[in-house]
Amino acid sequence: MLLEIKNLCLSFGGLKATNDVSIAMEEGKVYALIGPNGAGKTTFFNLISGVYKPDSGTITFDGQRLDGKRPYQVNEAGIARTYQVINLFKKMTVLDNVKVGMHTKLKSGFIQSMFHTKSQQAEEAAIIDKAMDLLAFVGLKNHMNDLAGDLSYGQQRLLEIVRAMASEPKLILLDEPAAGMNSTEKVELNVLIRKILARGITVLLVEHDMKLVMNIADHIFVLNHGQKLAEGSPLEIQNNPKVIEAYLGGGAKK
Amino acid sequence: MLFQVIVSGFVIGCVYGLIALGYSLIYKASGLMNFAQGDVLTLGCFLGYTFYTLLGLPYWLSLIITAAIAFFFGMGEERFIIRKLQNKNVLTVYVVLATISIQYILQNSIQAIWGPNMLSYPRVFPWNNVTIFGVNIQTESVFCIIMSFILMMLLQVFMNHTKFGTAMRASALDAKAAKACGINPSFATGVTWGIAAALAATAGILLGPIYGVFIMLGQTIGRKGFAAAIMGGYGNVIGAIVGGVLLGLIETMSAAYWSSTYKDMIAYGLLLIFLYVKPTGIFNEKALNR
Repeated sequence: MLLEIKNLCLSFGGLKATNDVSIAMEEGKVYALIGPNGAGKTTFFNLISGVYKPDSGTITFDGQRLDGKRPYQVNEAGIARTYQVINLFKKMTVLDNVKVGMHTKLKSGFIQSMFHTKSQQAEEAAIIDKAMDLLAFVGLKNHMNDLAGDLSYGQQRLLEIVRAMASEPKLILLDEPAAGMNSTEKVELNVLIRKILARGITVLLVEHDMKLVMNIADHIFVLNHGQKLAEGSPLEIQNNPKVIEAYLGGGAKK
Repeated sequence: MLFQVIVSGFVIGCVYGLIALGYSLIYKASGLMNFAQGDVLTLGCFLGYTFYTLLGLPYWLSLIITAAIAFFFGMGEERFIIRKLQNKNVLTVYVVLATISIQYILQNSIQAIWGPNMLSYPRVFPWNNVTIFGVNIQTESVFCIIMSFILMMLLQVFMNHTKFGTAMRASALDAKAAKACGINPSFATGVTWGIAAALAATAGILLGPIYGVFIMLGQTIGRKGFAAAIMGGYGNVIGAIVGGVLLGLIETMSAAYWSSTYKDMIAYGLLLIFLYVKPTGIFNEKALNR
């Protein structure tokens, strides 16, 4: 198992935002986390990525315990994420955003940089190559010298995904990647997620767009009121009476 | 005469530059103005005096120990006072007030430890003067200028070409986005304050042999360093250096050729004009509320 979460709990005051949730994810698949508004999806993401500390339960990633770790430690362990609200360095160029995303993988120290050694030059060149390669991957190469804040909304989402990929994660968490995208961009996103998978990165996404989720996910987890309601293939989920009840009963969008 | 004036302008200008660098780093990292910055220079000056003159350590070693102590002082200041306040979500002006408190506590503590009298360093170098272009210049002055430039260059490389420097710049721009990139912004901010304090203390130990050691040394220099930071473009690293050297030169020139009594009036008058004419500073930093 790549990621194994057991009996995870977190309360805010009296509210059980995450209530005894257990999931397991294998490498090389696209997973989706769905549920009506307020089901606790983003809280769950924040628990995995170290933004929140769980009250109890365990998170094991790649054989390493991650519960209680800080966000940067989770990132170092190989989990990158994007946010519901776009979270880029708006005043940096597109290229620099990707370079910052890569910085955890840098090796050259102060001395090498000071004397501008061969190894440092080679590393610097390799970084730029790799960043450009990643930008080409999402079609942003032409925008590499633009400020991130000047990109369109959809492009900023793509840049955030690429920046997350730059840290060479094994798992990428995408929090509502399709939010604010037009239909063309959504089709492109679908293709992009498949391409990410092809690079050996496992994907877990939170998404409201059911069409997209049913199209792309191999396996779906459904949360409701902080608890896991169901899990299974898209077909199983679509035909699960408990899920239909939760969505219709909750009055959530289709 | 002119060359000597320029050299002393550069000496004090480099010191302003080092202090201004600290202001800029702290402003970028925490969005604050730290009033205690100049008094850390005083602290550095007294610490250096203690290690070098009282304990008889070599000058270079005293310099390193002083910078290291100041580094941890700056980090501690950020972690135990500034961040505690910021976590309470108080207005920025309250945090700035805290730095004023730190300034006076620091001043009085220095006085309590070392006493109110002016002290002086013995000579640092075996030769009194070096001759440049046929003009005799105090060796310590030349050393101060060279060291300042080396420090500024080191900082520039550190900030722009190292992993940790990248983390610092990223945290300063957007802490939340930095977290998403595997950066620990609170540590990066702490280190930034540490570096700012270490720069100020180093300026103190460089200046000690030239200006002497006294309680109020840093306060005036601190304010001028702040002026220099704004002239260069508040928050801009290269601007801080240029602003510092420029202010030092203007001040020394006016003292030499016009009036040493009114040199501050001239320097600050220029600053006021500068604020009207070019509020973004020489290097065009964001200065206007829009």
